[in-house]
Amino acid sequence: MAAAASARAQALSLLAAANNHGDLAVKLSSLRQVKDLLLSLEPSLSAEIFPYLAELHSSPEILVRKSLLEIIEEVGLRMLDHSYVLVTVLLVLARDEDPLVAKKAISVGTAFYCSILEEMAMQFHHRGKVDRWFGELWTWMVNFKDVLFSTALEPGCVGVKVLALKFMETFILLFTPDASDPEKCFNEGSRQMFNISRLAGGHPILNSATLMSEANRTFGILLDLVQSAGRLPGALTITVVNCLAVVARKRPVHYNTVLSVLLDFHPKLETVKGCHAASVQYSIRTALLGFLRCTSSPMIESRDKLLRALRAMNAADVADQVLRQVDKLIRNNERAARENWSGKNNQAVNHQNSWDLSKKRILPQGEDDTVNGEVAPKRLRHNNNMHLSPQVQISDSPHRINGISSGNHPSDSEPTPVEQMVSMIGALLAEGDRGAASLEILISKLHPDMLADIVIISMKHLPSIPPTLTTSLATPADIVVSSSINPMRSPTRQPQLPFDSTLPFGSSLSDVPSLNAVVDPRRDPRRDPRRMDPRRSNPSVVPTSPPVGEGKETVPVQMDISTVASKPPLVPAVTVEASGSVNPRTVEHSQTKVMGSSVIRKIDQPDCREDLSPIPKEYVYLSKGKSSLDVPLSPCKDDEGIRKTKFDLDLGSVPDFNQHSPSESEPDFDLHPPADLNITTGEESYRELAPVPSFVELTPEQSRTVMKLALERIIESNRHVCGFDCNKIRMALIARLIAQIDAGNDVATILREHISADHREFKGHELVLHVLYHLHSMANLGTDESSSYATVYENFLIVVARSFLDTLPPFDKSFSRLFGEAPHLPDSAIKLLDELCSIRPDPIGGEAYDSERVTQGLGVVWSLILVRPNERKACLAIALNCSVHHEEDIRAKAIRLVTNKLYHLPYTSEQVEQFATDRLLTAVNSETDLSQTADGTKTESKSQITSTSDSPRSGNSDIHSQQDLQTSREVSVLSFSEVQRLISLFFALCKKKPSLLRLVFDVYGKAPKIVIQAFHRHMPILIRELGSSYIELLPIISDPPKGSENLLTLVLQILTQELAPSLDLIATVKHLYETKLKDVSILIPLLSSLTKDEVLPIFPPLLNLPPDKFQLALAHILQGSAHTGPALTPAEVLIAIHDVVPDKDGPTLKKITDACSACFEQRTVFTQQVLAKALGQMVDRTPLPLLFMRTVIQAIDAFPTLVDFVMGILSKLVSRQIWRLPKLWPGFLKCVSQTQPHSFPVLLELPMPQLESIMKKFPDLRPSLTAYANQPTIRASLPNSALSVLGLDNGQRSQMHPSDAASSIHGAALT
Amino acid sequence: MRFRYAMVCSSNQNRSMEAHFLLKRQGLDVASYGTGSHVKLPGPSAREPNVYDFGTPYKQMFDELRRKDPELYKRNGILQMLKRNLNVKLAPQRWQDNGGDGVFDVVMTFEEKVFDSVLEDLNNREQPLMKTILVMNLEVKDNHEEAAIGGRLALELCQEIEGNESWEDTIDDIVAGFEKQQRRKLVYSISFY
Repeated sequence: MAAAASARAQALSLLAAANNHGDLAVKLSSLRQVKDLLLSLEPSLSAEIFPYLAELHSSPEILVRKSLLEIIEEVGLRMLDHSYVLVTVLLVLARDEDPLVAKKAISVGTAFYCSILEEMAMQFHHRGKVDRWFGELWTWMVNFKDVLFSTALEPGCVGVKVLALKFMETFILLFTPDASDPEKCFNEGSRQMFNISRLAGGHPILNSATLMSEANRTFGILLDLVQSAGRLPGALTITVVNCLAVVARKRPVHYNTVLSVLLDFHPKLETVKGCHAASVQYSIRTALLGFLRCTSSPMIESRDKLLRALRAMNAADVADQVLRQVDKLIRNNERAARENWSGKNNQAVNHQNSWDLSKKRILPQGEDDTVNGEVAPKRLRHNNNMHLSPQVQISDSPHRINGISSGNHPSDSEPTPVEQMVSMIGALLAEGDRGAASLEILISKLHPDMLADIVIISMKHLPSIPPTLTTSLATPADIVVSSSINPMRSPTRQPQLPFDSTLPFGSSLSDVPSLNAVVDPRRDPRRDPRRMDPRRSNPSVVPTSPPVGEGKETVPVQMDISTVASKPPLVPAVTVEASGSVNPRTVEHSQTKVMGSSVIRKIDQPDCREDLSPIPKEYVYLSKGKSSLDVPLSPCKDDEGIRKTKFDLDLGSVPDFNQHSPSESEPDFDLHPPADLNITTGEESYRELAPVPSFVELTPEQSRTVMKLALERIIESNRHVCGFDCNKIRMALIARLIAQIDAGNDVATILREHISADHREFKGHELVLHVLYHLHSMANLGTDESSSYATVYENFLIVVARSFLDTLPPFDKSFSRLFGEAPHLPDSAIKLLDELCSIRPDPIGGEAYDSERVTQGLGVVWSLILVRPNERKACLAIALNCSVHHEEDIRAKAIRLVTNKLYHLPYTSEQVEQFATDRLLTAVNSETDLSQTADGTKTESKSQITSTSDSPRSGNSDIHSQQDLQTSREVSVLSFSEVQRLISLFFALCKKKPSLLRLVFDVYGKAPKIVIQAFHRHMPILIRELGSSYIELLPIISDPPKGSENLLTLVLQILTQELAPSLDLIATVKHLYETKLKDVSILIPLLSSLTKDEVLPIFPPLLNLPPDKFQLALAHILQGSAHTGPALTPAEVLIAIHDVVPDKDGPTLKKITDACSACFEQRTVFTQQVLAKALGQMVDRTPLPLLFMRTVIQAIDAFPTLVDFVMGILSKLVSRQIWRLPKLWPGFLKCVSQTQPHSFPVLLELPMPQLESIMKKFPDLRPSLTAYANQPTIRASLPNSALSVLGLDNGQRSQMHPSDAASSIHGAALT
Repeated sequence: MRFRYAMVCSSNQNRSMEAHFLLKRQGLDVASYGTGSHVKLPGPSAREPNVYDFGTPYKQMFDELRRKDPELYKRNGILQMLKRNLNVKLAPQRWQDNGGDGVFDVVMTFEEKVFDSVLEDLNNREQPLMKTILVMNLEVKDNHEEAAIGGRLALELCQEIEGNESWEDTIDDIVAGFEKQQRRKLVYSISFY
């Protein structure tokens, strides 16, 4: 225990050295020692030191910060459960301005990220639950991830960004299912990298579906980065390419996408400054070579493509060499496998399957092929991976159209990505409801290609009789299958059909909401690889009727198209649909909205122009006579293509069209009018396309209806398609539609649900901003319609904002983001905000709810003040008005905001202070103002308004301040709560800036009673919160304004209440007392800290105080401070009181006696002993204190047992000839008389004249005294004079005689 | 001495050792490697090279060749080269087998094939450290004269990189500037530990 404590102390002192020492070397060596110490301690003990360690993150020394990271790495990873504090440091340092530190932080943070993940998964795997501390830790790690992602995408140091990109790669690898065997997981000794596929379902913290979809999104980001390579430094492009290559190699799911992106990578880098083109090109080459070295199936299959690309890069030799190496390797493996498993085991054969297809020319054939043929049908029954090699499949449709699907090869040893996905979906479904939710997310986030493949694979499971659609979802395959079942009735169907073409929309979609996502991208004609095929240069495709014997399903579509072709107005409608989904219902539907669509076309053209231009490739094929109408026709053309089996070998190598280009869905809009059959080149073609082929005039109502319908449809489709970028075009469309419709409310209501439902995923937010920016730019164009756009803008913003408030919980950030990022905030928005902050909409509604809304509103106000300088004043006015709100709750919140945040901002602090001051003065002047004339009131109110709000935008503030003034004048005397309302803010500000308190002191004298009362209420709280910063009050204390004495005393009291006053304070107050303020009462609070020498001089004025104050002072004096003890002991106090000489200026005798009495009242303090001590000391004084005898009498009254002691005193007094002191003598006599018979001996000591006078004065005494003296023993000792005074003269003798006689008799007798 | 450098050629004899020698003399922290499967030195004819395993000390090769044909190996400069090498380090090392040598910041290769091998090797390793490594290839013919020039250029490059706080921000400009000034091709890539 003691050892631990000393280790802790040692660590703390070392840390202090690391923090404060001037020498860097010492700092670093201290840190090293701390590290060793931490490693040697118990984790829980080390953890106690972590917070102090974490403080080093703000060290100005780079090396210290770096060492800190090293310690965190070494120590934190060993004790993850205690590392919470350290992780937060990582978060900060990952954004460090020094690249070295930031890099180190990223690397350490990544290690943490992986460890925590692994640990969490492992714990759950082994124990079925996860420790709670993981939850918080993981939240921080998620933050860390967010920081890195933003680092990667925002401008900054390339070195740091490179690492952030590497982290993204790691992230993708972690959360993309691994192809390798999922079984081998935690039990194996080697710590393998975590993978999501090994995560057991139902993990309490990790949601696999979300993580996987996020990994997919991240992958999309990397792809986008490659595509924007022209704008990046070369180092970044190279890193991204390398990262993508790693992803593709390790996660074959992404291979085809990466490959196609890399193959399509031809940016004109030479022109870019700061980008070394050759190196970038070389990185592509390296990546492709790397792929060539891989032996997993998709890579083997794309060999030809790779070889072609490498040849084009003059790397044919290297490529061939690599191929030879790989083949050699494969052969060796095969041989080894065959030898090991002697043919009986299928595995070796299957293993071989994975590459046999594309390597026929290399591999020995024959027996392998036959085996393959035999094995395959079995798998058909057993496995999910039903997409067999074409040879085995049904002869009519042997090949898939798309490169990806042909990339999925059956191999038991190595499940393809699609199979993994299918099995994952299966796993999710097995989880029941919870799984279903995740599944929905997963499906909606899946790469469309992947989804399509999953659907196609699943179709192989179709039963011969279609099940009813309403049956429960049993397996993942069923889900997909049930939705795609109908078109597949005929076994000869090729899979490219629009699956939903015959589906009733409502029934199946409700189960599989993302069905459109499955269908959409696949139908995109440009995805049809045959479009790339130069051999397909048949110009007259337009009305090709489907070959007899093709599926019936295509017919309705076909029919529609032909009618469309004959009815020009319909064309645009169909084209619009093409971007969404083509199904019979849609086509019918569209006929009702034809005109609307044509409007859409018109609106959207500018957008298309810019998006189209970068893809001239498209037009090359177009120019070969390809009909634009092949969008709707694609089903039948696909069929046609399928029969061209001779192309099949090429299909695998046709580059996959990139899914992520923003222009993805766009050409559909424009390529369809018949006019473009004559097009020759891209740009020109566009200009030809521009005019709308036909136009039908609509009434405004009609057009509005049509547009609304269009909007609804776009939104509807938006909900289902969540590709990486397919939202962009939709956003653009929606923005323009809204601008056109100008029907604020109803449009907004349409949107509202969508936006708020989707807002969490940020898509909704993007959409709203897109719309807002569009409207804003329209409004600012300066055209005639600008103002109407401005109105639309305003309405839209307000409606959206209100909908957020209505539907989203208060802690949701959407509202804040909306206001923070909107291009412009109109007055109505500010008003809405004001209402949110200060008005309670429903008094019956729950309190908590409202107050959270206020918090939310104030939060928004705060962020707007920070980020929107234009709205700053208005927002400030809102905040300030809330800070004097009638509702205490609102007021408290606003005051917190104003004092803790706004008051620190340089641009608002002045206004805040001014406002608070004005409110304070309003309260103070409330009574005096009443007495003033109406004119005076007016002028003052005016001045207040101008001082608080000089901006034209802060109209609210004007109104409010006027209201304040009016209320303060209407109510003759302010209520206490009203005063509180007005002054709370000021006092809160004082906490931050104690010097403001001077104003309170200044106005204290003239403030009305009620205000003073409020001051007194606030003061103790304030002073206590000020703590040690009360020093700033010293200037005020040293020079208090007139009339503020009470307040000053109060302040001093509070200051000294809990802590001993500092020397400064004592000096200040003493100085004040000595110079300016002669009132000793201000010293009272300090008395306990004064020394005896300091107290004694001020004793007389203290005595002169009113009794209650003197009592207080007495208490302080006797209490003393902890350090010095009491200034005076009670005995000293008594003496001091007695030493005071009554005089004209000083305390009167009465005051002094009162003081004495006050002391005697405190019998517990002024005890018998105290009195004895005091009296004993005083009796020796010369002259004797005036009140001495009085005190003696009082003492004996109070403590009768003191009598013996008192007799001692009295006898001393006798020896001091007390009778010579006329002022004390009567007291003495009184005392003697009161204390008889104890005082007799003393009396008898007196000289005769005095004794005699006493006898005269107190005749009662005589008999008893005589009796006393007459006692033989005493009498003998008495002088004769005394006896004679007592009248014992004669009698004495006579009386003595017998005794003498007796003695003589005795003596005689004896003698 | 902030960065750690590795010079890599195919046999860790001529080009990488020349650069190693020069950088070491300038006080840089440097190591050198080869990526071939064996160490090959010219023999009496093109078909009869002297083949050694990596790890065979330079001294041993030197003694052996001097014993075999001192005239020949002196004439073709092999003995002088080996003599220089044995003063630099003990024996040739193979890049792929020495992953445990720690973390380098910059790797210079002198042949495209070597560059590819290094990158491939780095890619095949686990990369848990999140530490960037800059790999650069400068084409240098495998003879003594070119090696001397190549070594000098490598030194210049490394010194320029050394002068930068964070090479990632400037590498594109450094490489472009080098190409312009020296009229030689230079390619770089970024990998991770």
